[in-house]
Amino acid sequence: MFDFFANPSRFVRITNRLLLPLVIISSVCALIGLYLGLFVSPADYQQGDTVRIIYIHVPAAWLALFGYVGLGLCGLFYIVWRHPLADVAARAIAPVGALFAFLTLLTGSLWGKPMWGAWWVWDARLTSMLILFFFYLGFMAVANGFDRAERGSRPAALLALVGLINVPIVKFSVDWWNTLHQPASLLRNGGPAIDESMLTPLILMLVAAHAYFTIVVILRMRALLTERRAAALMLRPEKTTSRGLT
Amino acid sequence: MNDTHLKAKKPTAAKSLPAFGLQITELQVLRGMSLVINGLSHHQQAGDIYCLTGPNGAGKSTLLRTIANRLPIADGNIFCPVPIIYVGHNDGLSGSISGRENLKGWAKINGFPYPSAAIDKALASFDATGFANINVRLLSRGQRRRLALTRLALAPANSLWLLDEPNASLDQLSNATLDAVVIAHATLGGMVLAATHLDFTANASPKFIALPGRQE
Amino acid sequence: MIPFFAQIERDLLIAWENRQDLAVMLIFFVIIISLFPLAIGSNVAILDPLAVPIIWIAALLSILAGFDRLFAQDVSDGWLDQVSLSKLGLGWYALAKAISHWLSAGLPLLIMTPIMAVMLNISVSQIPQLMVALLFGSMGLTLLGVIGAALAEGARRGAALMALLILPLAIPLLIFGTLASQSETGIISPHLMLLGAVFLVLLTIAPLVAAIALETGETETGL
Repeated sequence: MFDFFANPSRFVRITNRLLLPLVIISSVCALIGLYLGLFVSPADYQQGDTVRIIYIHVPAAWLALFGYVGLGLCGLFYIVWRHPLADVAARAIAPVGALFAFLTLLTGSLWGKPMWGAWWVWDARLTSMLILFFFYLGFMAVANGFDRAERGSRPAALLALVGLINVPIVKFSVDWWNTLHQPASLLRNGGPAIDESMLTPLILMLVAAHAYFTIVVILRMRALLTERRAAALMLRPEKTTSRGLT
Repeated sequence: MNDTHLKAKKPTAAKSLPAFGLQITELQVLRGMSLVINGLSHHQQAGDIYCLTGPNGAGKSTLLRTIANRLPIADGNIFCPVPIIYVGHNDGLSGSISGRENLKGWAKINGFPYPSAAIDKALASFDATGFANINVRLLSRGQRRRLALTRLALAPANSLWLLDEPNASLDQLSNATLDAVVIAHATLGGMVLAATHLDFTANASPKFIALPGRQE
Repeated sequence: MIPFFAQIERDLLIAWENRQDLAVMLIFFVIIISLFPLAIGSNVAILDPLAVPIIWIAALLSILAGFDRLFAQDVSDGWLDQVSLSKLGLGWYALAKAISHWLSAGLPLLIMTPIMAVMLNISVSQIPQLMVALLFGSMGLTLLGVIGAALAEGARRGAALMALLILPLAIPLLIFGTLASQSETGIISPHLMLLGAVFLVLLTIAPLVAAIALETGETETGL
């Protein structure tokens, strides 16, 4: 464990190879996706141009959920195997996931005003998403809430794990309850319920967002690792021996 | 200290007992990002008294708390087949209830017998009977320490005692009592590992583990 | 079972010695409830439908307010170290803590509830189902509080952190609890069963989570 922080070079090596392709994928998909979404795809017959919010809203929502699943799994790994990389990964994911959750709520709110006539409604999907956002905030507060930063890792991991219960609630809230929020369009039985002219940019934006998420998480992990490495190297002690051996 | 010389003085009662002891191999303990204990190995047999020495921050309390299963082990292992009794920096006494209630509760959660006679005897061992029925928050530091140490009188004979600065804030008399109790425990085949200064149980010639301070 | 009951006995003794804390919590409960009519106004048409939710929110806040020090005392005086070496085990210890805390805080609050219900003009026939729902609700909230207190133990702003952790988790209890209290189908309503289910889930996971969180005892005193 100690050696790992002093020398996390394998992680850096692997991620070095990943970063450039991810940057290319993310930027190319985002550019094409945005162009298709904003200029080529038609306006919705009911919703008009407002529908274009979907190209930000849906990827953000997916990543908020996907990120939380990652956070929960990292929590599980950290509690069971105590691998420090899981803690680093979770701490790297949390603010990014929180950002996407916030973006989801924000774009949803902007979309809701013209569609439902209100910035916010207390419907199951919106409320559960808001709670997901709270879980992200809770994770960050716990992880950084202690004088010795590492002390927060374990309770934060536990919280992430407990919060996983909310993820299926967010995903299936539109099916379980009769919500104002529209039901799933992409991942549903019987294939996507969305026209191809809108599906293509949406998928491109999803790919771009996932790649972007991965890039930011990798960069954050490397920064956190470097921080810890510096601390570990600074405090490396001498070997202890027991004079009392019989 | 010359260990081989001291060994000859070891109480003879311990020799007849099987050597079920504390075994620590290549122990590493992290506190935050710093490795406080690096590759410590230590083997202790029934009847042994060890003193843990070293400068402040050398990891004495960390080692004791790790053996007491309160801190995670980064690497290596600790094996101890006998019950562990830990008297740490904090006395483990609630201030809101009396010393007697504290001691009785402690005996109960450990599954030790707790008839009034046994509790009285334990309290008498550190001369704590006089203040055993008063709320602990009203007692002095030394009196609380003595109450914490009365637990030792309820401990099984083969147990390992982990004592963290046990004679801190004790008066002369209680100090002598503590020495006597510890030596008697070792004579009956118990083990003691104490983080303390050098004159602890000097009569029984304890052995020493020196932890080096951290290099800046 | 002796170690388990010994822990409960010890906590109840300590709670009794500090019974003024309990009084503070009950006064808190009463004050929150009386703040609502002051803020909303005494219009019965508005106030009456809100009576049950007001009681639930007041109960939730006052139960959780008493929690930030649940483990702190045992950690700082070293009792937790003794517990983790004992036959009790941290999971049972956490459950014992929950039980003794409910007996010393949840139960008195429950006893206060009918009086507050009458003050809020809740019909007497509705009080039994409010009490049954609040019984499960307060036990569930206590278990949640155990989770929160264990997770936030040792943190800089323990109380605020705990509220942040617990309030999102308390939502199912609040939703099913208020529905069960006002159900048309009498005491044993579907919502009460859901409330019971949430309570049972918490009963199984809370000791587990608390035990994992309390497993390593980092103290800031000494190395």
